[in-house]
Amino acid sequence: MDDREAILFRKLEAEEKNDEFIAVESQTFLQAAMKNFRHNKRALAGAVILLIVILLAIFGPMISPYSYETQNTALKNAAPSAAHWFGTDKFGRDIFVRILYGARISLMVGLVAAIINLVIGTVYGGISGYIGGKTDMLMMRIVDIIYSVPAMLYIVLIMLIFGASVTSVMIGISISSWIDMARIVRQEVRSLKEQEFAMAAFVIGASDKRILFKHLLVNTVGQIIVTVTLMVPQAIFTEAWLSFLGVGISAPLASWGTLAQDARALIEIYPMQTAYPMLAICITIFAFNFVGEGLGTALDPKAKR
Amino acid sequence: MNEKPILELNNLSKVFPVKGGKKVHAVNNVSLTLNKGETLGIVGESGCGKSTMGRTILKIYEPTSGQIIFNGRDITGLSRKQMLPYRKKMQMIFQDPYASLNPRFTIGDIIEEPMIIHKIGTPEERKAKVQDLIETVGLKPDHIRRYPHEFSGGQRQRIGIARTLTLQPDFIVCDEPISALDVSIQAQIINLLERIQKETGISYLFIAHDLGMVHHISHKIGVMYLGNLVEYGSSDDIYKNPLHPYTRALISAAPIPDPNQSRAKSRIILEGEVPSPLNPPPGCAFAGRCAHATEECRRKKPEMVDFEGRKVACFLYAAD
Amino acid sequence: MSLLEIKGLTTEFKTSQGIVKAIRGIDYTLEKGEILGIVGESGSGKSVGMLSLMGLLAENGSVVEGTILFDGEDITPSGLDSRKKKRAYETRMRAIRGNDIGMIFQDPMSFLNPIITIGRQMTEGILCHEKITKKEAEKRAVELMNLVGIPSPESRLKQYPYEFSGGMRQRIIIAIALACNPKLIIADEPTTALDVTVQAQILELIKNLTKKTETGVIMITHDLGVVASMCDRISIMYGGNIMEEGTTDEIFYEPKHPYTRGLLNSISNSEGDKKEPLKPIPGTPPDLLKLKKGCPFTARCSEAMAICQDYNPLKTEFSKTHKCNCWLYCRDRYQEVLEGEKANE
Repeated sequence: MDDREAILFRKLEAEEKNDEFIAVESQTFLQAAMKNFRHNKRALAGAVILLIVILLAIFGPMISPYSYETQNTALKNAAPSAAHWFGTDKFGRDIFVRILYGARISLMVGLVAAIINLVIGTVYGGISGYIGGKTDMLMMRIVDIIYSVPAMLYIVLIMLIFGASVTSVMIGISISSWIDMARIVRQEVRSLKEQEFAMAAFVIGASDKRILFKHLLVNTVGQIIVTVTLMVPQAIFTEAWLSFLGVGISAPLASWGTLAQDARALIEIYPMQTAYPMLAICITIFAFNFVGEGLGTALDPKAKR
Repeated sequence: MNEKPILELNNLSKVFPVKGGKKVHAVNNVSLTLNKGETLGIVGESGCGKSTMGRTILKIYEPTSGQIIFNGRDITGLSRKQMLPYRKKMQMIFQDPYASLNPRFTIGDIIEEPMIIHKIGTPEERKAKVQDLIETVGLKPDHIRRYPHEFSGGQRQRIGIARTLTLQPDFIVCDEPISALDVSIQAQIINLLERIQKETGISYLFIAHDLGMVHHISHKIGVMYLGNLVEYGSSDDIYKNPLHPYTRALISAAPIPDPNQSRAKSRIILEGEVPSPLNPPPGCAFAGRCAHATEECRRKKPEMVDFEGRKVACFLYAAD
Repeated sequence: MSLLEIKGLTTEFKTSQGIVKAIRGIDYTLEKGEILGIVGESGSGKSVGMLSLMGLLAENGSVVEGTILFDGEDITPSGLDSRKKKRAYETRMRAIRGNDIGMIFQDPMSFLNPIITIGRQMTEGILCHEKITKKEAEKRAVELMNLVGIPSPESRLKQYPYEFSGGMRQRIIIAIALACNPKLIIADEPTTALDVTVQAQILELIKNLTKKTETGVIMITHDLGVVASMCDRISIMYGGNIMEEGTTDEIFYEPKHPYTRGLLNSISNSEGDKKEPLKPIPGTPPDLLKLKKGCPFTARCSEAMAICQDYNPLKTEFSKTHKCNCWLYCRDRYQEVLEGEKANE
């Protein structure tokens, strides 16, 4: 028994104690966010749906035997069947394929608008927030002026000048929607630059460019990603709405909005023809919102621990 | 000890404009000298301008008037570009170990960054230097790839110290480096700073509100009240025999971690609180709370005078 | 009968990363008119113990073991399995809080409602617990403000919290805590946010007022200077355990636990003539998530032994008041622990 006591009461060597032990597992910011995101069922469902929609939009039309413009007068307003999953429209065109083509246009409009917002908004907001003072004042008043004109007006004007095309819709949507992004980034940068790590970067001699991009904007990535994710459905919605009103993309190209518009005349006889594109819009927008919301919690720095 | 000054402040002032056209004199005509290889402690309560002074010296804030002389050269008017070579020589340790490290950088990136900015060494040399510094501050080499949020407060503060050491500075402003840390960790940081000073001959401006620690680490102490330097002298003189009524009250109010001494000590309990820096009293800033205040104190600002080998701004010691 | 008796209190928090045992079986007693200091660093569980006592734990926290006797009444928040029991407990605690137990927090601003006048906040507290008229309550509030040293209280009753300085706000919190003549006051870092000269005022105030009224005080702090000047007895906490307890003199002049000694060595005693180098405790405080068994201080302890890693030490009594949990002093009883462990398996 004495042996045992000796073993138990042996003094520990310094190496055995590990007093600088760090219990938490090391993971990068994105790893942590991914883990959090994966535990969020709604966000995960949204991401899966989005993936399916995107894959369908890319590959669906390639595989399908129908094209979006081939008319088949023998088969007008057909009910859904094995050959035509969603039936055909008043010109005998396959609605399913037209919705897949619509997805291409809608998603592209959404993505391009979001990217334009991302670039302009981040840089503009970042610079405005970082420089502060009079420059910030001036830059924000410019933004206010742009914002005070209804977005619709820009779109209609651009359509008038450049004609109704996918490009003008994209430009029209982007022209005022980057402002939200700029405002969010500016706010974040303004509060971050007061933090001591920004001051530390200044003291070691970092240039303004380095402080803004490497220290401040990097820390707004979470906010930016969330905002972008939520901007895509907004743009999709605006495009659909424009096309539905008839100022957006014109035939024979089909976005979800134009599909709904085309089917509107027959809504009392063939309500499903309007319902399909609307459903597509709903599902996609929901999916984006779920993903955005999930990213929001996953990337929130305050949610740590 | 080598009595050559590394830093001299001549009548340094920093004024912040605030809304309504008012001005806050955060730092008011402060003159100080810090010798090479020494530590100058700055004490005072919140809002006394001690942190603002530290930041003004490093030109994070532009000084309003006065002079900052670093290593014999006036750096007051230097532009940001002209300051760049001096940045290598003067560094800062921050108060909040949670806010002073960029959360998206690994520890290795944080410590390496100053060398990248000043274009020092090859990537391999820089990596080796980072390893060196990590060990100097008592962390493990495998910590290099970790992120700040994985460390405790004391560990982060040591990372912050490693970052300032990368450029081998001659002078560091320590802005309340221990006040956010646990008691058992504070001593680690103090000992680390002292060890570095012994090895490299670096000078510190040590800003804190904990008088005990300041006395321990400093060679000289400056006491600030409402933007003004009220007393300035050797550490032991100030601590053992404070002259200015405010210094006396400050030292007497500090709780002593020793029950017998604490019982034996008669305390000066000050009335009231620090006045707002927005409308400071016209005369001596401390007059409103001072037991010795006279009409003169309320009207006129006392000048810094030499008294028994130190400087004090109080009419009690003015030679008349 | 003691004013407060806590036995074997264990509190857990459920977090996304697992269960955190914030306190692991702590004991306290407090007599009337006594000031007990609870000293510990961040993560030591010093505040969690008091929140458990007050029934103010966050949603994910619960008391899993132990008993709390306040003035002879069992107020342990455990076994609240039905909604009815829970509600009965809440009602009882609401009556006790503010009436029998007063609280003083670190940040007075989070306790005061910024858009209600000080006068109303004070009288409301009084009216909640005592059946008197509004006029009388106001008179009482003025008395209290006089007591805590707020000049011209009548006019200040109509002011809002932002019109008061930090020290004055803390005085108001003390006045509110004292409003109903509580038997016990819990002060959680009451002066940490204040300047040194103001801190001295507030500490003096708490000490004088409670000695006069025979109120028991639990003073939670990390500052050894504060406890040295204020407290009758001290408990030292680390990693959710009480490491050592004793009278103030016992803790400061005959510290037994290596942690207590380490703490005392790591503060500078500047009164001494020579500047001796500080002797810090090496390492970093433990992560409560990963802390499973054994003494929590093992990794940083200069005296650590193999047994400390696996088994919690027994309590050793040095005097009626002085107790310490460390294997250095209970080596002769190690077999008890090992057998107890076996019996558990």
